[in-house]
Amino acid sequence: MFEGLSQNLVFGILVGSLYGLAAMGLSMIFGVTKLLNVAHGELIMFGGYACFWAFSLLDIDPFLTIPLAMLALFLIGAVLYSLIFSRTIKLPDESKVKNSLLVAFGLSVILQNLALRFWTADERGVTPAYYQTSFTALEVRFPLVRLASFAVALIFLIALRLFLKNTYTGKAIRATVQNWEAASLMGIDIHKVYLLSFSIGAALAGVAGTLVVTNYSIQPAMGLGWTMKALIVMVLGGLGSIPGTFIGGLILGVTESATSFFINSNYREVAGLILFVLVLIFRPQGLFGTKES
Amino acid sequence: MLSIDTIAVFYKELQAIWDVSLDVNDGEIVALVGPNGAGKTTILRVISGLIQPSAGKISFQGQNISHVPPHKIVELGLSQVPESGKIFTGMSVLENLELGAYVARARKDRSASLARVFEIFPRLAERRNQLAGTLSGGERQMLAIGRALMSEPRLLMLDEPSFGLAPILVEHMFETIRKINQQGLTILLVEQNVQASLELAHRAYLLENGRIVGEGKGKELLSFESVRSAYLA
Amino acid sequence: MSTKQIIYLALIAVILVGLALFPFMTQDDSTFNLVILVFLYMTLASSWNILGGYTGQTNLGHAAFFGAGSLATRLLWVGGFPAVPSILAGGVIAVALALAIGIPAFKLKGVYFAIGTLALALILNITIGNVFPEMSYNPAISDYQIVPRYYLFLGLTVITIAAAYFLVNSRWGLGMMAVREGEEAAESLGISALRHKLLALAASAFFAGLAGSAFAYYHVSYYLNMPFGPEWTFDPMMMAYIGGTGTVIGPIIGSIFFVGLKQLLVWNVGEYHLIIFGVLFILIVLFLPGGLVEAWKKYQRWFTRWYQRRNTSPRNVIGTGHLP
Ligand SMILES: Nc1ncnc2c1ncn2[C@@H]1O[C@H](COP(=O)(O)OP(=O)(O)OP(=O)(O)O)[C@@H](O)[C@H]1O
Ligand SMILES: [Mg+2]
Repeated sequence: MFEGLSQNLVFGILVGSLYGLAAMGLSMIFGVTKLLNVAHGELIMFGGYACFWAFSLLDIDPFLTIPLAMLALFLIGAVLYSLIFSRTIKLPDESKVKNSLLVAFGLSVILQNLALRFWTADERGVTPAYYQTSFTALEVRFPLVRLASFAVALIFLIALRLFLKNTYTGKAIRATVQNWEAASLMGIDIHKVYLLSFSIGAALAGVAGTLVVTNYSIQPAMGLGWTMKALIVMVLGGLGSIPGTFIGGLILGVTESATSFFINSNYREVAGLILFVLVLIFRPQGLFGTKES
Repeated sequence: MLSIDTIAVFYKELQAIWDVSLDVNDGEIVALVGPNGAGKTTILRVISGLIQPSAGKISFQGQNISHVPPHKIVELGLSQVPESGKIFTGMSVLENLELGAYVARARKDRSASLARVFEIFPRLAERRNQLAGTLSGGERQMLAIGRALMSEPRLLMLDEPSFGLAPILVEHMFETIRKINQQGLTILLVEQNVQASLELAHRAYLLENGRIVGEGKGKELLSFESVRSAYLA
Repeated sequence: MSTKQIIYLALIAVILVGLALFPFMTQDDSTFNLVILVFLYMTLASSWNILGGYTGQTNLGHAAFFGAGSLATRLLWVGGFPAVPSILAGGVIAVALALAIGIPAFKLKGVYFAIGTLALALILNITIGNVFPEMSYNPAISDYQIVPRYYLFLGLTVITIAAAYFLVNSRWGLGMMAVREGEEAAESLGISALRHKLLALAASAFFAGLAGSAFAYYHVSYYLNMPFGPEWTFDPMMMAYIGGTGTVIGPIIGSIFFVGLKQLLVWNVGEYHLIIFGVLFILIVLFLPGGLVEAWKKYQRWFTRWYQRRNTSPRNVIGTGHLP
């Protein structure tokens, strides 16, 4: 019993880091641009297919495909923002969120059906040679792939934080979030900031996608499920907080694995969704966020 | 240096500015005064490109900037200290100042600029690592001005820099503005503190209900009967 | 009554008679299925529109009501209940669900309401799938008849559209639209936002639930959680937008357009209709928030002006060089 539980907890945390990474891009985009891109799950899916292609056609190690997936999704993000989302950026906040949500739904329908065309409805996964490797410590098993994914998620969490804290561009992004008008009076091109933030958010979805396809599998209908996970984590963690998002991911991961352990793995996702609805109703600023004044 | 030629500005259907013309020459301090809601802030916003004029023309150093986006206007050397400072409260004093030097032209000289700002406002140097949101009102205003100076402007616009300051600080603020001007920076000053700003300014415009209703040498305008009765009673 | 109204009423009467006589003109099952699909979408899109279009609450959980209605009806009917009370029970259950989730859900504003309702529908979708993992088969498959189903859907569609029409043209409807334009302003006029939203939600859920009931009565075999699937929200929502939200005719046009496009493209190029539909939806949200209805009105206005100008401009002016 106890061993099963601690094994479960460990899996929950390892998976949770992936959820945190999946939400980081969504949170970045929403935090900076106030655009709610519910096609985020489809962007993750595209990242997964990029990895799948590179792995199966070019025989590249899945973890080495990350830069490739990032680049591809960065470009896709830039195109999507310029073509579609930039047209809602000037609306007042409330209609901006709503319209971006609607537009993103349309987009998710399009992307999902494009994926069906390109890759059929089959489930795809990548299985590198070390797929089965795992370590055991204190009678708990740590699969190598999951550990590596945890490390990747953590690295990107730290990298994003350093980027936003220490680079000029990162400071420009934060300044734009705090007050776009003052930011443009500093000579910051806020539309470039929006474009860049959206593209970075998409690139992060690309990274998450490579981890999803390596740990699980992908298929064209996966988008909504992952969008929901990202939304849940974003709301749990409080909008715009990077460490909060990561912790939110861990909470979702542990909630899911605890549900599997104590109830039934079929209700894993239900547990996350119920948590989500409860937080929305009772603590809309997130578990770690503070009430905005 | 800056020339505004019969501009009109609308907020949706509501007209806020009617046929305003205004000039600022090299090296001057020009004051723009008027009661609440006259449209002073609106004029500064339109100059900075934050909103678009629907008629008329604005030019800076001979270049038409009526429809140039705000960040390019800063690049040209026209900076603004916005109403109530609008400092980045979630960042440190130093980060705020660094952001002031964001444009490429200013970025390369930023350590020299920083030294200069710290010389003008020693208080900021002491508090460089403090979160800007925890500064006092006067310190915030200093930071806002320091941040604008970091962009190495040729013309600086200030929107009510004395707002909310204690009288002694106001005096100090105006003294600082005069000093900055003597170092060669042209200034367009929006103020409600009519007496002090008209004494400071070389020339002044009087704005009411979105229209220029008076114009003259600063001290001359001070003796206008209408100005006296309206603002200095 | 103005002549225009008389013309409209006559037109509606002709269409209704045509639709009522339709089973006498064809025996082809696939034609029936196609028309029934249009009816189903019309009901779903029109009922979504009551809350989403007229009251401004973007409900992304509409499928929950469709699913609840279908589940109740299917269980009762397959369990041996007569069809008519089973079908009515579907509508009632959907309203009960709406009232149960309404109060907490309306604590959420704007986009939070949207994602909150989406989560609720997903919770139901997964849970029902877990509780009823097996395919549900129609017990009386041997004497399955399409014509009564056709009339059921026709009747439901007419009732839904008529109810939507009368509701939105009533005082309640005005209140709903006031809430859409701004809750605080509405409250300051003495309009209770919560009550109007609840009414809109209940009406919206009732007809979606009945659509689910009809679906349960119509379909031979399906998984019981299938009507809870998110596509039963998104597709009708897109139809309402493409036709024009906040108008009675918009969802009707959108549904015909959707099914028409699907048919056309299936014959030609496969399953591309959703891609094209998605693109169209995005274009409409971005550039034509009133949908096809607004496009038509704009065209009419433009045409009238063009026509008037053409007929009032003196002929001799043309060619003198005064016109641009
Ligand atoms: N965003 C806006 N939308 C609509 N109207 C506005 C907006 N901003 C300003 N106004 C209106 O334009 C007019 C001029 O406002 P402005 O802020 O320029 O005045 P001001 O001279 O700066 O006043 P104060 O001395 O109080 O700062 C006012 O009537 C104001 O209500
Ligand atoms: Mg002002």
